[in-house]
Amino acid sequence: MRDYGVEKDLAVYNLLLDVFPKEVFRPRNVFQKIFVHYPRQQECGLAVLEQMENHGVMPNKETEFLLVQIFGRKSYPMLKFVRMKLWFSRFKNINPFPVPRDLPKDPVDLAVLGLRHIEPDLSARVTVYQTASSKDSTGTADPTQQHIVGIQSPDQQAALARHNPARPIFVEGPFSLWLRDRCVYYHILRADLVPPEEREVEEIPEEWNLYYPIQLDLKYGRGGWDDYEFDIDEVEEGPVFAMCMAGAHDQATLAKWIQGLQETNPALAQIPVIFRLTGSSGELLASSSGLEEPSPPPPQEQEEEEDHTQRQQQGQS
Amino acid sequence: MALVHKLLNGSYILRKGLKPSVAACPFLSTRSADYCSSSLQKPVATPGKASTQRTAAGGLQEDQREVSFDKAIKDEIKEHFRRLKDEIVNHWIGPEGRPLQEIILEQARVVWQFRGKEDLDKWIVTSDKTIGGKSEVFLKMGKNNQSALLYGTLSSAAPQDGENSQSGYCAMISRIPRGAFERKKSYDWSQFNTLYLRVRGDGRPWMVNIREDTDIIQKTNQMYSYFMFTRGGPYWQEVKIPFSKFFFSNQGRIRDAQFQLLLDKISSIGFTLADKVDGPFFLEIDFIGVFADPAHTEEFAYENSPVLNPRLFK
Repeated sequence: MRDYGVEKDLAVYNLLLDVFPKEVFRPRNVFQKIFVHYPRQQECGLAVLEQMENHGVMPNKETEFLLVQIFGRKSYPMLKFVRMKLWFSRFKNINPFPVPRDLPKDPVDLAVLGLRHIEPDLSARVTVYQTASSKDSTGTADPTQQHIVGIQSPDQQAALARHNPARPIFVEGPFSLWLRDRCVYYHILRADLVPPEEREVEEIPEEWNLYYPIQLDLKYGRGGWDDYEFDIDEVEEGPVFAMCMAGAHDQATLAKWIQGLQETNPALAQIPVIFRLTGSSGELLASSSGLEEPSPPPPQEQEEEEDHTQRQQQGQS
Repeated sequence: MALVHKLLNGSYILRKGLKPSVAACPFLSTRSADYCSSSLQKPVATPGKASTQRTAAGGLQEDQREVSFDKAIKDEIKEHFRRLKDEIVNHWIGPEGRPLQEIILEQARVVWQFRGKEDLDKWIVTSDKTIGGKSEVFLKMGKNNQSALLYGTLSSAAPQDGENSQSGYCAMISRIPRGAFERKKSYDWSQFNTLYLRVRGDGRPWMVNIREDTDIIQKTNQMYSYFMFTRGGPYWQEVKIPFSKFFFSNQGRIRDAQFQLLLDKISSIGFTLADKVDGPFFLEIDFIGVFADPAHTEEFAYENSPVLNPRLFK
């Protein structure tokens, strides 16, 4: 069914079930009810329902009526139908980060969706720096421009403005993000973690707001003995300043992104930017190694072994 | 592990040797170990002499291999006795070697963390290569040895062996904790009610499986599972799954009679990826812990329906 593209269509499954003869397989007396009546046909019905389950199609009343007509109410396909109804409705909305079923075809829209998906700050602004040049009159499949979509929140903007120009910031990527069954790649602009001695604590003077306290030090545990902290130091990483999704993963496209970012972050002009581009499905590189040479990004259709050796070459501390 | 292998394949004399009490065991076990090492080479009348003769006559490589094999066995025996001593001594201090008041008042516990290579040894990584599929999965330490990275490629091309029509899964399972002499131990999380994971994924949905202690043979295929949805992105994600949400399944199928997960004997936890989407994936895990969420009062999230289980509602 995948060849015809109808595997998620409920009407097609109902039509398939319609193929069965209607009153033949229903058990009529108690002996037929004890022994599984027409087992092969029931298995066939089960296979149709199982394919529905695999593709996540929710059956409806028409399916129920068809199954009752074909197999009877106490048959295995009917049992499976009841189970599907039960468990599908229980698990329908458990995804805390839902992705729409029909993903947009336009790469810019997909990039906007993906960036909004990964950025938890709702006040972040998405800017489209460049759209893919699909409006060419030549119509050749040779895009001179790839789409570049970036996202940055006001907190990140403020952090970038405060960043010390002596420390470089890195463009890392591409990292993979899966939206249902489409994979997009994004890059991030981040700085290394500031060592604790150089970290400056922002002090808000107490007279800044007379109406309510800015810092409130309340403990919300039920008593003094409550301690819900885990006994482990969480992984700390440097701050992320912006993220982008681009059509191509080479330095030229990303440089255009940085130029676009400079319009909203003038402080970016003084800070040295280093490009750390690795293979796809990679993890963030070691942050304690010194300035690394930007490596050319390998093509995306790479075998796993190549990825593995490349990562080993780039090395980890 | 070498000792276990030998004990399983050894002759009947070993079983006689292990019956006497623990105190007399050190002497007997070293002697039986000598017998054991020579019995694997070739059956000879005088075990002790044969091993020395072979070390003298054999090549340098065989010599080194033989000596290290014996040494490995002795090391392992010492390790098991050390574990036994630890267990007996820890029993006096409190459960698992920590004082009782610490265990009772504990509200958040880190169960698995990934800060070094030895932490990775506590996990086994499997994929559908065991049934003939083509997915690959690897586990290694993440950047700066601060997290573990599980990565690979999922491929749902079904193996053409006539038996499996679907394929494409990867799993990371924790090893069952072993005590002295490879006895199975289990975790006791009865005072906690939520599982906490700090992960960074790529947007794929994973499935978390918890298996209970497998002393009863029927329990070897039973597990409790729930889904973990990763967001993707460069930020770390905290996933809190209350234990009341885990549903019961046996031999890979959800069962009609559901009961809540009992937390007093948990043997292992696992993560599975089987979302029928081919392609590379990765999951970075910082640590796995359990904690007692005071706001969560639900005991079990799934009711049994009278349509599916009429027997439960008589």
